[in-house]
Amino acid sequence: MARMKFYCDEKRCIECEGCTVACEEANQLPVGISRRKVVTVNEGMEGKEFSVSVACMHCTDAPCEQVCPVECFYIRADGIVLHNKEICIGCGYCLYACPFGAPQFPKDGAFGTRGVMDKCTMCAGGPEPTFSDKERELYGANRIAEGRVPMCAAICSTNALVVGDAEEVADIYRKRVFSVGKGVIGVPYGWSTAYKG
Amino acid sequence: MKKAILFSLMTLSLFAREFFGKVPLVEKATVVHNSGSLLNSPELLHNILHYQTWGELFVYLQVHWFRILFFGITLGVLVVFFLHYIIIGPKKFSKDGKSFYVYSVFKRIVHWVAALAFVIIIPTGFMMIFGKEFGGGELVLTARYLHSIGTVIFIVAIIPMFLMWLIPMLPTFDDIKWLFIAGGYLTKKKVVVPAGEFNAGQKLWFWLAVLGGFVLIVSGAIMYFEDFDLTILRSLNMDQIDLLRVAAIVHNFLGMAVTALFITHLYMSLFAIKGSLGSMKDGYKHEDEVKYMHSSFYKKLIGRQAK
Amino acid sequence: MANTWGYGAMTNHLGDIQNAKAIIVFGANPAVNHPVGFKNFLKAKEQNNAQLIVVDPRYTKTAAKADMYAHIRPGTDIPFMYGMLHIIFKNGWEDKGFIKNRVYGMDDVIKEAKKWTPEKVANVTGVSTEMLYQITRAYATRKPGTLIWAMGLTQHSIGSSNTRMAPILQLALGNMGVAGGGCNILRGHDNVQGATDMCCLSHSLPGYYGLSDGSWKYFAKQWGVDYNWLKGRFKAKKWMNAKGFTLSRWYEGVIKEDPIHSSSPIKAVWIQGNGITTISRTASVQKALDKIDLIVVAEPFANEAAIITNKKDGVYILPTATQFENEGMVTATNRSSQWRSKVVDPMYESKTDQDIMFTFAKKFGFYNEFVAGMKLRANKAKGTLEKVKDTFKWPEDGVDEIARAIKTIGLTGWTAKRLKKHQENWQMFDEVTLAGMGPMRGEYYGLPWPCWTTKHSGSPILYDVNLTVHQGGMGFRNRFGLVHDGVSQLAGDGATIKGASVEGGYPELHKDNIEKVLNITLTPAQKEAMGKNWKVDISDEIAELALKAGVAPYGNAKARANVWTFPDKIPMHREPLHTPRYDLIKEYPTYKDQKDKYRVDTRYASVQKTDYSKEFPLNLVTGRVNTHSGAGIIERSSKYLNKHNPEMYCSINPNLALEHGIKDGAMMWIHAPGGPKVKVRARYSYSVSDDRIFLPIHWAGIMQGVNLSENYPEGTKPYSIGESANTVTNYGYDIVTQIPETKAGLCRVEKA
Repeated sequence: MARMKFYCDEKRCIECEGCTVACEEANQLPVGISRRKVVTVNEGMEGKEFSVSVACMHCTDAPCEQVCPVECFYIRADGIVLHNKEICIGCGYCLYACPFGAPQFPKDGAFGTRGVMDKCTMCAGGPEPTFSDKERELYGANRIAEGRVPMCAAICSTNALVVGDAEEVADIYRKRVFSVGKGVIGVPYGWSTAYKG
Repeated sequence: MKKAILFSLMTLSLFAREFFGKVPLVEKATVVHNSGSLLNSPELLHNILHYQTWGELFVYLQVHWFRILFFGITLGVLVVFFLHYIIIGPKKFSKDGKSFYVYSVFKRIVHWVAALAFVIIIPTGFMMIFGKEFGGGELVLTARYLHSIGTVIFIVAIIPMFLMWLIPMLPTFDDIKWLFIAGGYLTKKKVVVPAGEFNAGQKLWFWLAVLGGFVLIVSGAIMYFEDFDLTILRSLNMDQIDLLRVAAIVHNFLGMAVTALFITHLYMSLFAIKGSLGSMKDGYKHEDEVKYMHSSFYKKLIGRQAK
Repeated sequence: MANTWGYGAMTNHLGDIQNAKAIIVFGANPAVNHPVGFKNFLKAKEQNNAQLIVVDPRYTKTAAKADMYAHIRPGTDIPFMYGMLHIIFKNGWEDKGFIKNRVYGMDDVIKEAKKWTPEKVANVTGVSTEMLYQITRAYATRKPGTLIWAMGLTQHSIGSSNTRMAPILQLALGNMGVAGGGCNILRGHDNVQGATDMCCLSHSLPGYYGLSDGSWKYFAKQWGVDYNWLKGRFKAKKWMNAKGFTLSRWYEGVIKEDPIHSSSPIKAVWIQGNGITTISRTASVQKALDKIDLIVVAEPFANEAAIITNKKDGVYILPTATQFENEGMVTATNRSSQWRSKVVDPMYESKTDQDIMFTFAKKFGFYNEFVAGMKLRANKAKGTLEKVKDTFKWPEDGVDEIARAIKTIGLTGWTAKRLKKHQENWQMFDEVTLAGMGPMRGEYYGLPWPCWTTKHSGSPILYDVNLTVHQGGMGFRNRFGLVHDGVSQLAGDGATIKGASVEGGYPELHKDNIEKVLNITLTPAQKEAMGKNWKVDISDEIAELALKAGVAPYGNAKARANVWTFPDKIPMHREPLHTPRYDLIKEYPTYKDQKDKYRVDTRYASVQKTDYSKEFPLNLVTGRVNTHSGAGIIERSSKYLNKHNPEMYCSINPNLALEHGIKDGAMMWIHAPGGPKVKVRARYSYSVSDDRIFLPIHWAGIMQGVNLSENYPEGTKPYSIGESANTVTNYGYDIVTQIPETKAGLCRVEKA
């Protein structure tokens, strides 16, 4: 069974913020919301600085889903953890349960308070009918249904951020590790029909 | 340079148009500030590594204990008092004789403001804990907002309440004796109970409501406002998110205690002592009731009258 | 670059960097400015175990991914590279065969390098001798090694020496003309290379043809206009051949702080596609804009030129379409071209760039002459141009005109049809070699120039003699004569182009020498049709014959380390005009003051005469941030990009900041010599050491503490405005190109 996963290679991440901006643009997020964020540690420290892009990791045993008092979460068959914004009460428990700080709370509730939770959907929309206006408005893009990669990974300039079935992601990374020091492989160039005259 | 735009931007705009039709060229000019949440800062990574300390505890408690404990305690307290009512029954005191003016208008107003707050806060809190059973959504969301509004009302009441009853609520020797006989509630007989203006049970409730209430307000506020820049946290090797987790745990446990005693308080005033509610309506307590239930206070009152 | 070996462009391409075994980066920050291209650096590291070496005044994001990092003082790249050469020659790591066959004047370099002992280099650059040795060994002993640079190397008063020094290092190591080697200049923006190739500059006609009468006459032909008509457009004939003002100093033409040598002061400025605050000394630009009669801004966003001026009248902003509302070709940093399709029609009342220009030409009565060239076709058999139609189709006819006219850099193959085909089939090209597959076999993606004929493959790697010319091989260009100081400038026999019928070096091809060089005989018809030389040969016969013989039309010469036409024949270190090491001035003084450089007198020695280093002890480094580009007006108008960098800031080391009582996030003043100052927010960062500060260049809208919000037309104010870093960049211009010295200035900081 496929399980969709994100992976960010900190050796490749250069903190270009491409993923975060792409996510915000694709899902038309309010400015206060960062579904995905790039975190840099030890900035400017020689040899110690590195960056990594973090968002909802779509855990198999998602603690957010377990602690939710209204059980608004559901985990799709492909492992994408989604939630129903019409059931969510914005209590914040999922944020406390999340190791990755993924749940976000826009300040758009009554009296400018915390509204209902928003988080990375792996560009898979939500429980509303696929491609409906309501889905777009509440959850953003549904690129998975379009057969496309989530926007953040699609835009990643160095391919640091990889997304897909866990096994495929592991495969990509495995190949990357195995290719170390083996030299670059360009496509062999056939000149048989090359320049004539 | 016009022709000099990041390639990525181009792609992004393509998508923007693809998905959202017309994109307004210029939105209303306002300075957009970085959300700047500490939860998004480099602490985030530290946080992943230190998830075990508070994160796992919170998940464990929330998944396995909070709901069951709330349910158990509430139900348990209700059952105990129901049995008490059936087996031992309420205490009845004579409405004749003298009345003592014990609660001034101010005190009564403060009490009822606090009471209103509790009546809002506790059921709405319940609705959140058992949000699933209430179906979530708008209803429970409204409950969450009411919970916050109730807190504001409670904040209004808690300070005067604390000041006006601080002295009489200080523990005395009577309280130990009161506890030994469990306030005389385990017998049908009318016994003279050792207590001042307030008995040990009332004191317990007061201190829990005031001090616990204070902690509840603080922990609630932490969860409500979410973002703080507390340097002290770093000295405790705690992250912002850990503070939220601790706040949630404390809030839940204290909530249980307050709920239990709130139900007790309701039972006492509405059922266990017939007519005791009256004193909070008009401020007068009847002599018979004071004599038995607040014997030390009675002596004092008599003494004052004699003078 | 162009003066070293013929062309001043990136010699290899981004994908080719994957082939490198060692990468050295001088004054560039690809991780921030070229994030997509930077993938190739990371892949080289991963797959080739390539050593990534970064030489930069601050610990950049690129440095964060580097294996070695040299923390260099701004403006001392030449000593650093001489230090490397010193060690290379001492250990015999240079490529002797390459130098013998393909380089002229290396002896002078060896002599100069001898003087730069590692100790001396350490004193000047601030890089320890151990680090210098480690870097040199890592770079010189791994081949191929590629050398990367960008604005950090060029924007100096000795920028033109810097850009000759880096090629010399590569020539010494024999890293030129090989996959994974080369001098790779990273262009900062989309189509900068294209704009350069079209010479949207004041010293040359398109395609680097210069301003000689011959060039004007050639272009008069190509544009389908009368030469005398062109001449009549100038006030006097002499201005036709004189270089104009530069972008970096045009404002002197208005305010005349330095004496100017022009037919008239500048009266009007037309701004189309330029962030006015990206050149140094914004305060002077502001003065000029206040004084000038007319300002026209044709941009999609409200350009800061219209904002920083306090002029109340005579400012026009024309709404211009973005590239998504336009079609045409753009040239990438690696000389590849790409067709760009239109996504939507121009929105609201905006017009495309060309429409604005056509309307302008109509209004001023030269529209017919303006578009005449697009209606012409070359009759190759006759070697003439003929008018074939009365209307033209934009942009195809424009692109074909470019392809037809520009032969110096070999754009002949860039027909609209071919470029479109490449764009439509881009999945058929390889990322590492750019080679096409399937139907696109035999061509490289985007036909990187020189693409000699309409059938040529394009040349992804310049000066590679190990490939046939058909596959993009070539020697160095023969551009500077045949002999200098008695030494032949042609390549040695060891540098024969693969498959060429001519052994070793040969001169560039003329009508007069082609028969001798290629050992052929021309028919009278060929002779009749052929132009004077390969650069003005409308019949393309020279190029066709050259390719048939397996040689490039431009000759096969030696690269020259000694550029005898420059003020410094070999690159010499000269301290920046504003240097924190005033004690080194005696040994490495700057140039004498120069008269009439691009119509403006330029001061050198008279600036350096004053010692600013006591009052202004800090180095000022400017650069870009990843979410913004150029003057930043586009990005600052974008909600999401703006969110990530919502405010102008100054990166400052906590050590330095605390000495001045500046808290993290507090406001601070930065003062520059001469009085300009900016007020910005301090951002603590360890990426800068405590003797320098870093400013991003992308803000404008606040000038020296004065908020100019009022000047934005309604609805055009971006989400964030801020001080322009270039308000405090110092005086100083390159002696050859007049590029401003924005990367090595002085300043002092103060708590606000």
